[in-house]
Amino acid sequence: MTARPGGYERPGAYGRLRRYVSVLAVLAFWLAAGVRGARAQGVRGWVGTTVQMVELRPIAVDTIARDRVARGTDGRLRYNGGVVTCVSDDVCLGYRLRGEEATMAATQDVGFTAWGFGVGGLSFTALLRARTRLGSDLAWPRTDDRFDAMLAYGQWNRGRVRVRVGRQEIRSGLGFPAFDGGSAALTVAGFRVEGYGGRSLARGLRDPANEALRGLEDFVVDRSVYLFGGSARFRAGATGVTARYQREIYSDRSGLVAERGSIDLASVLPRTRVSGSLDYDFGLGRVGKGHLTLAVPLLDGKLLVEASARRYLPYFQLSTIWGFFEPVAYTEGELRAAWSPSSAVGLWLSGGWRHYGDAGTAVVLEPLENTGRRVSAGARWLPDPAWGVDGSYRLEWGPGGFLSSGDAAVRWMPSEDLTLSARAMSFQQIEQFRLGDGRAYGGGVSADARLTDRIRFSGGLTVIRQTASGGAVDSPWNQTRGWSALRIEVGQDPGLANRRSR
Amino acid sequence: MRYGAVRAGRWLGGGVSAALVALSALAPGGVAPARAHPQADGFHQTDPFPHEKHQGLFPLCTGCHAGIPGGEARTLYPEQDLCTRCHDGVDEERVEWSGPTTRPTNLRFEHPMHASKLREVGDSAIACESCHGNPDGPRMAVGDTVRLPECWSCHAHPASDHLTDADCTTCHDPLARTRLPLSAIKALPVPPDHDSTGFLLEVHGASASRETARCETCHTRERCAACHVDADRPEITAIAAAPADLRLPEAVAHYERPASHVDEGWQSEHGTHASRDACATCHATEDCAACHIDTNDAIASLPSRAQVVAPGVHIEAHDPESHRSRFFMASHATLAAADDGSCATCHTQTYCTECHDGPSNGGFHPLDFATRHGAEAYGREEECSTCHNAAAFCRSCHVESGLGSEGRLGAGYHDAEPLWLIRHGQAARQSLESCASCHKQRECVQCHGVLGAFKISPHTRDFDARAAWKKNPTICLACHVGNPIGGSRQ
Repeated sequence: MTARPGGYERPGAYGRLRRYVSVLAVLAFWLAAGVRGARAQGVRGWVGTTVQMVELRPIAVDTIARDRVARGTDGRLRYNGGVVTCVSDDVCLGYRLRGEEATMAATQDVGFTAWGFGVGGLSFTALLRARTRLGSDLAWPRTDDRFDAMLAYGQWNRGRVRVRVGRQEIRSGLGFPAFDGGSAALTVAGFRVEGYGGRSLARGLRDPANEALRGLEDFVVDRSVYLFGGSARFRAGATGVTARYQREIYSDRSGLVAERGSIDLASVLPRTRVSGSLDYDFGLGRVGKGHLTLAVPLLDGKLLVEASARRYLPYFQLSTIWGFFEPVAYTEGELRAAWSPSSAVGLWLSGGWRHYGDAGTAVVLEPLENTGRRVSAGARWLPDPAWGVDGSYRLEWGPGGFLSSGDAAVRWMPSEDLTLSARAMSFQQIEQFRLGDGRAYGGGVSADARLTDRIRFSGGLTVIRQTASGGAVDSPWNQTRGWSALRIEVGQDPGLANRRSR
Repeated sequence: MRYGAVRAGRWLGGGVSAALVALSALAPGGVAPARAHPQADGFHQTDPFPHEKHQGLFPLCTGCHAGIPGGEARTLYPEQDLCTRCHDGVDEERVEWSGPTTRPTNLRFEHPMHASKLREVGDSAIACESCHGNPDGPRMAVGDTVRLPECWSCHAHPASDHLTDADCTTCHDPLARTRLPLSAIKALPVPPDHDSTGFLLEVHGASASRETARCETCHTRERCAACHVDADRPEITAIAAAPADLRLPEAVAHYERPASHVDEGWQSEHGTHASRDACATCHATEDCAACHIDTNDAIASLPSRAQVVAPGVHIEAHDPESHRSRFFMASHATLAAADDGSCATCHTQTYCTECHDGPSNGGFHPLDFATRHGAEAYGREEECSTCHNAAAFCRSCHVESGLGSEGRLGAGYHDAEPLWLIRHGQAARQSLESCASCHKQRECVQCHGVLGAFKISPHTRDFDARAAWKKNPTICLACHVGNPIGGSRQ
């Protein structure tokens, strides 16, 4: 398959391996579900089908005759209010809105955990996903990747030891690295040490970067990447601390792709909850993200106040040039409070102010914005168990963008098995580096119905009126969005009757 | 979690001291009467023979109750002939007499053995009225109760209260070996300590282990099994089970929440204390499975609810305290990273993946988030790349929407800023992820590479080129021709 812009090229040898893994996962599912003689003691799982639709009006660069362009009061050449660039005496270039197109994506998930194969503590977990694109030629992200074994691992968990083999993820302060390999953890009292390693998969994808990003990204080295890492956790009472080190290298050891460490802390102290994290990029020798958050419940828990100090520095692997462009971090202070004077009323408010470090770049004309703020507030009112009203407002402005948005929703739950919602929203968005003021308002309805103990359906439809002014590509139109999801629980979990979906 | 009364099983009696009632039901003979007359239900019978009226006729009790001293059941009571010697229908009104029906009791009392003991210590024969008579009444004022102080004159009772701290077995058979009727079992008195605070949680278990026989006086194993999920524990199996024909009152299982369970942090700490001994009194393995998705030795050791009589405490899946915070969504990453074992208690990796790499259906982002995510993406309150691959997800969508860059220098998308090309450096360093969501690396190299149009170095003065070359020389070559620092890689 030829790579297309934004498209996804099918992997080669690794794709075959992936198919084998998937087939094994499916076989394990059926083995667990019912093959006589090897039957698992229990299988818990679900099948989910999701269909999403959105109408878009992409923008496109178009040519404009020079004689139709006029110079504005700011001295810039414009056509229909939008800034254009004239590339010759006769031709200028500018953006225009294309016609409406609807694109749809359908996703089919099968997830399950089976256990009890005659070996205590042995289980098998898998999440398989198939995707397809419907509607116009507009590509829904990743729908070119028709099938993925998102997860497929066997686990043996007995007492102090847990071993996993297969496709798995590590949830950590370094993100969600996924890999095909093994991990082992040993827990002794409050200590746990874990080691893991295997073939690394691209961030956010389920294929090695050299195959998944071929055609999508530049400078991709056609070599596999191996990931190794380890962590040590200490838990005492309600305090947990985990330190982690992780390294990714090319299979031929010709270079590092990533080398990072992190430390994460969460603790429940008397009257205070503390959490914090910090990561360090050994590859580029700099501190990455971090935060320290204190949460204090007051008024018998009716008021929760949180204060956070954050640092954010984007992380890029050493296999791209981005990290070597030396991004600067921002530091932010944020205060949040949530007040629930009664079970029927809840209010929350948060505000933050951030400041970016010195970019060290030449200043031409005047420096760009280097501070940002965000404020949000919301309220919830539950006049009775069947009704709920939510409202929220968010204001964000800083380098790159401005957003002022408000949402309101009414929820009606005539029974435990049915929830109907109506929602209205409005927002104004300005991109700092692009002319124009985009405004939108609209509303939608959604429903969530539990058809049986094991079957749940949800869906919704939203219509948003999109307008733009002030030089943006301007053509008001109504954007329709819709989605539906069907989820069927399967299996014979002994605790299923008492369990919510998880 | 639901604690409280749960109807189940059978219940056996109330108190340790069946003795009082049992003694009141004692037949004049009292020799294993329950087994001799299993059909009898004479517990509430009163003595039909008017002893007081006959006090002048009988100088000795053994005149009528000849079998008492020797334990001969046949002569415990007089025959009809003895009555008809006087009540012949001529001198005295004729009466019908068949003797009292021997009533079921749990009293363990043998007249011959007591008589023998008394003889051994040189005491006289039994004086019947000392136990059966009324010291303030006439000589033959035989009542329905025996006088316990007479028992205690030899069998020293450790407390003044008959029902407290006594060795019940001295005088009583285990309930399982009696034929007490249902009404009698229901009427068994309740010792005062059974109603005391903490009896259920703190006292009765240790007492039962220490004084099994005392419990057995009023209880059978079925009473334990009505509440205890782990009714097969040795302390319980040591208690005799009821015979099949012994009718027992219906039991009401009652569970109290231990103080430890309401402590802050119990939810996160309970695993360290979990074991069959600690948990199986109230919980079955299904209770663990309400939250735990995996088993461990402690969970596996618990009985299954299908295997036990007791209802146990039903636990329903519930969010831990941390999850109820309005801001949990923002904080959960650190909590998970600090101790992902806590998450793994209830969630498989599929749960995380469903959201972090799942189809959007109004879960994490608002439904129309795609339309208004620009400002938030610049602000980076969340790290987009936690879930999304910038190249395969962000850029592919931006390209489809016409926002993707083709690296041209013509129509500028960033038209709000004059001279953007030479001013973009600060914005790029402040929000490089946003740049990468539309631009490919090669577009930047067009100007920043050593072969580029402007050869503008993207590095700061502090940039450690040597270290970078050592870490990954391949990517240096994206912009540089050969080793930019000269010499070998090392």
